[in-house]
Amino acid sequence: MEMLKAIAIGLPLTVLVTILALMIGTVVALPIVAGLRSRNRLIWLMSRGLVDLLRGIPPVVWLFMLYYGISIGAVRLSALQAGVLGLGVVAAAYLAEIFRGAISAVPKGQWEASSALGFHRATVWTRIVGPQTARAAIPAYTTFAIGLLKDSSIASTIGVSEIVFMSSQYARQSGSGILVFFVAAGIYILLSVPLGLLSRHLDVKMRKAVAR
Amino acid sequence: MEQLMIELNPQTTQPVVQVKNLAKAYGSNVVLRDVSLSVAEGSVTAMIGPSGAGKSTVLRCMNLLEQPDSGEIVINGHCINAGKKTSPKSLAALRRSAGMVFQHFNLFPHMTVLRNVSLPQERVLGCSREQANEKSMELLKRMGLADKADQYPSRCSGGQQQRIAIARALALGPRVMLFDEPTSALDPEVGVEVLEVMKELASTGMTMVVVTHEMAFAENVADELVVMADGGIIEKGHPGQILKDPQHERTRRFLRAVLER
Repeated sequence: MEMLKAIAIGLPLTVLVTILALMIGTVVALPIVAGLRSRNRLIWLMSRGLVDLLRGIPPVVWLFMLYYGISIGAVRLSALQAGVLGLGVVAAAYLAEIFRGAISAVPKGQWEASSALGFHRATVWTRIVGPQTARAAIPAYTTFAIGLLKDSSIASTIGVSEIVFMSSQYARQSGSGILVFFVAAGIYILLSVPLGLLSRHLDVKMRKAVAR
Repeated sequence: MEQLMIELNPQTTQPVVQVKNLAKAYGSNVVLRDVSLSVAEGSVTAMIGPSGAGKSTVLRCMNLLEQPDSGEIVINGHCINAGKKTSPKSLAALRRSAGMVFQHFNLFPHMTVLRNVSLPQERVLGCSREQANEKSMELLKRMGLADKADQYPSRCSGGQQQRIAIARALALGPRVMLFDEPTSALDPEVGVEVLEVMKELASTGMTMVVVTHEMAFAENVADELVVMADGGIIEKGHPGQILKDPQHERTRRFLRAVLER
């Protein structure tokens, strides 16, 4: 019980890191997607390079670089800031690819019908392509979010006191060995299974709405 | 039909659609060579020919879904020259004058039938939701689909979906309707529903350009028949005349293939 309490102290930070990183990732992904779809070769090349750079380096290395390596002026990033930022930019690269895929899954005919009807570009994105993209992206997006929830444990390496950090601290102090990590595993499962269920529920609901 | 047309539009001298010297190539693959065509107000033009002849490309160039390499397109007085840069304004004006119906309908799957027909009116014509819905219901009734208004397109048959697509295009009040093989993706029986609607539309004096393989429609409904092959127009004129007595060997070969199967 005492063990559970000790670990649970890390729960808010796990959730916080995950949510903030997901938000940063989602927002930063949008201009990257625009760049990946750009017909301007330079912009495309830069976006492509950025995605490959962000994805190509392990998240833990990003976190170390941000935490130990970067100081903006006299200010150094806190462990939480570095953790959220690092996981956020890596998430942006993956999410950009997910969004790009979802956009290209919208049939060409939808674009053509929109053009033929004379819709403005903004209308096409907000009313036609956007909603269909969001729908197509939901399964991959939640899969990524669940992955990110677990990857947030990487932030423990730079001292963010989330679940894994608290668990290893407890293990060291109490000498309870491996058991504490089983409990931590249980907490992660309790967090990720509902997310998966929610995703499937949303997916089924949207499919039904369209095929009523 | 032609007489009726003249009565309806006594002082019309300008055709609704004019295509001049249209040419297009994908690399070394020439899809259109020097195609010129004009469509009179209130007339129905059927375009036939073997696949790959460039029929659909001509139609898609008319509202610039395809960008021609050279040539000129005039619809309802809005002129677009392939050589010059097109302003978004004249492009919008040209597209507003032309309603397009696709082979695969291209309805918006995430909206109800009613929203499919109403949204373009709201966004393009600036109608209020009520105005748009009223007009949409009127058109859906005319298409025999009033009971489908609250359904999603995926719950409608192909023939119903195509009629919804026709309603969606008509809702914007186009001067000419462009049909790109509207029945080719449909079962023959279902295609009949769509052809009936198109016939009715033609009888109201709507100017129509129809790319089709439906020879009966071409013969009975069209005022003008255009035969294309290898990226060019090889024959055009009165449908009955051409079908009875084709002048060109390529036309004869095509007609033998479609009529004697």
